[in-house]
Amino acid sequence: MKRTRILAAALALAASFAAWAETGQTVKATDLKKTPFADGETLASLPENTTVEVLKRQGPWMQVKSDGKEGWVRMLSLRLGNGSAKGSGTAAGLGGLLNIARTGSSGTTVATGVRGLTKEELANAQPNPEEMTKLKQYTVSTKEARTFAAAGGLKAQQVEYLAKPASTANSGNQTSTWGDSQ
Amino acid sequence: MNKRLAILLAALAVPASGYALDLGNINLNRIGSVLKNVQEANREVPEKEEVAIGEQMASTLLGGAPLVNNAKLEKYVNDVGRWLALQTERPELVWHFGVLDSEAVNAFAAPGGYIFVTKGLLKRLNSEAELAGVLSHEIAHVLQKHHLKAIQKNASYGAFAEVATMAVEANSDGAKSQILANLVQGTKELYARGLDKDDEYEADRMGIVIAARGGYDPFALPEVIHDLEKLNPKDPGAALLFETHPVPVDRLKAIDQAAGDKLDAYGSQPTLAARFLKHKPNGK
Repeated sequence: MKRTRILAAALALAASFAAWAETGQTVKATDLKKTPFADGETLASLPENTTVEVLKRQGPWMQVKSDGKEGWVRMLSLRLGNGSAKGSGTAAGLGGLLNIARTGSSGTTVATGVRGLTKEELANAQPNPEEMTKLKQYTVSTKEARTFAAAGGLKAQQVEYLAKPASTANSGNQTSTWGDSQ
Repeated sequence: MNKRLAILLAALAVPASGYALDLGNINLNRIGSVLKNVQEANREVPEKEEVAIGEQMASTLLGGAPLVNNAKLEKYVNDVGRWLALQTERPELVWHFGVLDSEAVNAFAAPGGYIFVTKGLLKRLNSEAELAGVLSHEIAHVLQKHHLKAIQKNASYGAFAEVATMAVEANSDGAKSQILANLVQGTKELYARGLDKDDEYEADRMGIVIAARGGYDPFALPEVIHDLEKLNPKDPGAALLFETHPVPVDRLKAIDQAAGDKLDAYGSQPTLAARFLKHKPNGK
């Protein structure tokens, strides 16, 4: 009975979530452009932490609605989701609920719903030579790979690797945002 | 035997990372400090040894989750991956790609060209360009030998050469040994702990370039990272990924800082969503 109620709640939440458009927040001040081009007309300057409705992506641009205006912002100026510090708000919570719905397990044993290569399963892993043999059977030749790429219309490009930014605020930090709470 | 065992156990000491691995009641750091061998730690590892170690590590990952039993899907991922690897400085390495039958969301690389994505991750993707972005990130880990160096660093007290030799022998005659058992244990510790954050940022920087070189829209990788924001970091299927990688918003900022508008011109390259959807695993 309790299980049914949890399931119903999860499905109701899922249904309402599906009706929401995807939202995002600017992670820095950025321009809202009329077209997805750097030299396109600027419709507005969005300050950091502006909430936008995300419509679609095109290359490095995302089409968004902000304050009634529709335009394009750099995808890397945005974060998706609800923008809470740890990214674990409503949408993420819903993931957990859906997991319960999928597996029919109670909220306290949600772990039973996810199989394979969780931390626990990794800890118990032992080498599997049979699967290694299978893995090697799927290996493709360079010729096959080139034929495959041509069939998809892929064209190889010469592109230089990107240099490490002179100073990144992120580097050298060993702490995991979520590690402590596990 | 005692001395030998001590050397082997020392392979797992992790002084450089600031904490010790405790196997049973033995403090490995104490043994390690006696057996320091800097030369071995900085040795350039021959490809044969790199591949042998990688095979043992990959086999261990396959022990955590087997391959999806779908030859068409496995071949498809190998096609994409091998094409991408051809765009790199190691085109001739024999690269192996596999889809793990796991609902967890993650991807793994092991030395010598072994790369895995989980079925759970594939189900979240929407195009071949997104798959290419994920595989390119993992290919970068292999190119930069991130895992190999982490093991080498942790085994910097004389045992690495022995581990490498044993791995080569094990692959040819199936020999079992305490050293290999230690490598298996070290593998699990490494994948549970993750690489340094800088290694992950570097793999993102290189990954978007490798995808662009392969003719794909390189912004598909940041799109995948955007999507990770929607996962619950505490969900058991996502916890390992989140604990071993910088948070998505930091990864996106780092890509932004490095790329600026340098890759914009490649943003109109194909994503091949239709071809991906033909192979994408569905259902449960």
